Amino acid sequence: MVMHLTKRRTSEKLVVERTMYTKRYSLALDDQRCVGCEICRIACPKEAITVEKSSKSEGKKLGKSTVNVDETKCHFCGVCTAICPFGALTLSMNGERWVPVLEKESFPQVVHEVTVDETKCPADCRECEDACLFKLIKVTLDKDSGHVRVQVGTEHCPDCQICEDKCPKGAIVTRKIFSGSVAIDEEKCPEGCHDCVDVCPIPGVLSLSGDGKVRINEKYCVYCGACRVVCPVEGALVLQRFSVHHTPVHSGAWNKALEKLATTAEVTKELRTKSSMKVRETVKKRFS
Amino acid sequence: MSQNLRIGVFVCHCGLNIAGTVDVEAITEYAKTLPDVVYAVHNRYTCSDPGQEEIRKAIKENGLNRVVVAACSPRMHEFTFRRTVSEAGLNPYLFEMANIREHCSWCHPSKPEEATQKAKEIVKIAVAKARLLGPLQPIEVPVTNKALVLGGGIAGMNAALDLAEMGFKVYLVEKKESIGGHMAQLDKTFPTLDCSICIEGPKMVDVSRHPNIEIFSFTDIVSVEGFVGNFRVKLKKRPRFVKEENCTGCGECRDVCPIELPNEWDMNMGVRKAISVPFDQAVPLIYSINKDYCIECFKCVDACGAREAIDLSQEPKETEVEVGTIIVATGYDIYQPEEGNVYGYGKYSNVLTSLEFERLILAAGPTNGHVIRASNGKQPKVVALVQCVGSRDVDKYPYCSGFCCMYTLKHAVQLKEHYGRDVEVYVFYIDMRTNFKGYEEFYTRAREMGVNFVRGRVSNVFETPQNNLVIRAEDTLLGEPIELEAEMVVLATAAKACADAGEVSRVLNVTRGMDGFFMESHPKLKPLDTAVDGIFLAGACQGPKDIPYSVSQGSGAAARAATVLSKPTVKIEPIVAVVDPQKCRNTKVKCGICATKCPYSAIHVEPNKPADVVAAKCHGCGVCVAECPVDAIAQMHFTDAQILAQISAALEDNPEGKILGICCNWCSYAGADLAGTSRFEYPTNIRIVRVMCSGRVDRDFVLEAFRRGAGMVLVGACHLPYDCHYIDGNWKMKVRMESLSTMLQKLGLTADRFRVEYVSAAEGVKFAQVVKDMAERLSELGKDKVKAENERLKPYIDRILDRKAK
Repeated sequence: MVMHLTKRRTSEKLVVERTMYTKRYSLALDDQRCVGCEICRIACPKEAITVEKSSKSEGKKLGKSTVNVDETKCHFCGVCTAICPFGALTLSMNGERWVPVLEKESFPQVVHEVTVDETKCPADCRECEDACLFKLIKVTLDKDSGHVRVQVGTEHCPDCQICEDKCPKGAIVTRKIFSGSVAIDEEKCPEGCHDCVDVCPIPGVLSLSGDGKVRINEKYCVYCGACRVVCPVEGALVLQRFSVHHTPVHSGAWNKALEKLATTAEVTKELRTKSSMKVRETVKKRFS
Repeated sequence: MSQNLRIGVFVCHCGLNIAGTVDVEAITEYAKTLPDVVYAVHNRYTCSDPGQEEIRKAIKENGLNRVVVAACSPRMHEFTFRRTVSEAGLNPYLFEMANIREHCSWCHPSKPEEATQKAKEIVKIAVAKARLLGPLQPIEVPVTNKALVLGGGIAGMNAALDLAEMGFKVYLVEKKESIGGHMAQLDKTFPTLDCSICIEGPKMVDVSRHPNIEIFSFTDIVSVEGFVGNFRVKLKKRPRFVKEENCTGCGECRDVCPIELPNEWDMNMGVRKAISVPFDQAVPLIYSINKDYCIECFKCVDACGAREAIDLSQEPKETEVEVGTIIVATGYDIYQPEEGNVYGYGKYSNVLTSLEFERLILAAGPTNGHVIRASNGKQPKVVALVQCVGSRDVDKYPYCSGFCCMYTLKHAVQLKEHYGRDVEVYVFYIDMRTNFKGYEEFYTRAREMGVNFVRGRVSNVFETPQNNLVIRAEDTLLGEPIELEAEMVVLATAAKACADAGEVSRVLNVTRGMDGFFMESHPKLKPLDTAVDGIFLAGACQGPKDIPYSVSQGSGAAARAATVLSKPTVKIEPIVAVVDPQKCRNTKVKCGICATKCPYSAIHVEPNKPADVVAAKCHGCGVCVAECPVDAIAQMHFTDAQILAQISAALEDNPEGKILGICCNWCSYAGADLAGTSRFEYPTNIRIVRVMCSGRVDRDFVLEAFRRGAGMVLVGACHLPYDCHYIDGNWKMKVRMESLSTMLQKLGLTADRFRVEYVSAAEGVKFAQVVKDMAERLSELGKDKVKAENERLKPYIDRILDRKAK
């Protein structure tokens, strides 16, 4: 049989597959979870991913951008799967989840840090569950023991930190995946345009103020870049990432991806931190 | 030549072959009357020892400086007498033969007087040429005693090993990462069912270890310059991104690489990593990185550690080697029917090609040797093997691919050996071609194992919802249409010329036949030579063939190459083209016509310089000589002056009643010889002038013939499209003569007074018939009409030829 490269798109997902005689590689993008940001497009080492702004209908809110994968370019490496802050991508082989760059430690997994100290939870408190925009938290009360169980779907959590903020008892500790900054150049921002506001996955981060210009509240921003994808004016929206919270890794592919997601300076910083940490460890070993 | 001409004529009786019909004494006496002939004698058997001795004595005693032997065809004994003459101290190219046997006594047995007259004129023609002959020295070029073998498959490896064992240095150039070719992809080989890589592996290792063989793997051939004994070849090594000297082939890099990509060597059924070898027994065992897939995570660099073999900045490397001969062993490709719906291949998941099936049944393949269906991973219960997919097909490849019947039988036998009664095997064939040692017995074995054979072509294959395949065919032995539901279909697809055969053909200047495979010099007697001296063929690149045939050709090509390499120099016949730099037009205007017409690309033309003929590449066809608009090139031993002298001599007496024939040495002249040998009688009107190739026939020859009053002119050539000994000299002649004919007819020439006929060396009958027709027509036209037409043409011809003479 001939090797087939296929792409199928439904309203719920996009599936790109490479079918060989005994192996079927499959990359699935969950369209419900995907917010149309730019992270996977930037990170893909083969530039196989494109993100397209949706078409605007008069008077309606701009829909989220569409992510498309070129089935002839995708090599099923798994970088996009590891980097997506919303956990929208799944990679499998013959139906079983399999991310080669993670298995071979060629790329790190971004850390969706959400830790809950359930002992601090009041019995009838549902604040976090109500607060989570992505419906990732489920609070259950074990009637017998009175124990509160908080389950968080961490793999899809972009660490917006709303739940941490809203928790009355400070029981939740989170850490942003991406640290960065985002700013609007007021002169360039076209009046009355609210494309970025429409697509931002975290309501409240971007808002249209009275004078028709966009205002930013960075507190809950995850620096995904969905806003930058749709901004019609070059340079009106300035987004920068400084660091990424990820599992430890020693990989040229990661250095390149970080350079594209953040800046060269950040890569140098990270490498330097890593090497100084290594020195520290070596010294510790020697003298302990 | 200012020297005093002293021509000796020796007329042979050839027993009664000549003397029985023509009056040899009269001919000898006549010869004495010709100007510059100082000695003429007749002899019973001139080619015999005493006969040759007589010639040698005569040369010495009479100070002869030109020799004419009137006897059989020069195709018979020119070589013999040239040797005789050189033994007497005379340059062998000062010798000419007059063909009074095949072209005279044998074909005019019932007309002895006319034959004698014709024989006299034939001698006159030969003497006319002999007067203008000049001494020639064979060109000797030194030989680089190294060889280049292009292609590291089974044929190429054998050629390389044989040459290396003979003591010659061999460069083995292979475009893929590993040598081994298609044979390394096979599981078992017919008819012994030996494991293929088991028998080839040791050979591959031998090649890598031999001190006389240097392997250039992952290397392409960029350009070839030079000629036999002296080729300069530029090679370009593609970057592996791994340093060959440092890589130990341990494979630790492969283990840590995350990227899997389809393995072309595995017919895209299996995978390889971004850093890998194509298969585990690769020679040389050096890894390479596929940069298209590599994400540059550098895990391999870490794993390689202190060996430091990985270098992602590697660039392609160019080298130049000097060799004396080149052996082309580039092999074949398999037809992958990816266009349209060829029995559902590409559409239905359970239809495979034979090479894909081979990879499936191989123990080291993607399924570890289990034959399973792609659709559900289960073993098929009914397997259909379809023959001649793409082969023997007027719409695709009209030839037979040769080895498919045998490998299909092998697959059938393997299926039966693996699964016994659990699998039904059907073979749909047109003919079963099992014609070499052990092959018919193998066919019997397959039949005895219960393989079913259906003689009929498959017309249609379509898929059922369970991914089974329904095959529609005709069982011609029963005379009924049949339908079979199979669970797997294997297509025995055609073997075709490599995709880059066109590029190799261009670089080496080696021609390809209509089927795309490289063309040999002569299909019967020179299957391994090409039209280019010093370049030989071996293996499937010359035509689809199985392994023993390829191996034999590899050894054969090595022997052919050794005939050049084992001598310090190689002699090249001096019948070559030579440019007169004073006359060459290219110094004044942009010309280069000769270079474009040369079938061997033997002429170099640089702007504002006279054209330069590379003598060692020149094969002596004379096409450039005829094409040159200012007659600046001459062909040694067949100069314009010599041929025009022959034409004048032929038409001196009674030109209106004569047919002037200019025939090419290899086909039409040989055909005329055959007419004589077969004793076909034809009229005596024709007088033949020999040229090496019909492409040599200048328009001036025809015009001069008519100016001298010829009744008819015949140009004899090899058949189109492929028979020309000089590749396509006859095509060039055709174009030239057609335009000339049109012009002459406009000037008033009756069309059939100037004819071009294609006569092969086997067509004696045709030659005789042509002459009969022409003689009949000539007598129909009558002498007066011919004379009148010639008179009308003369002023025009004079103008053309005189303008040229300026």
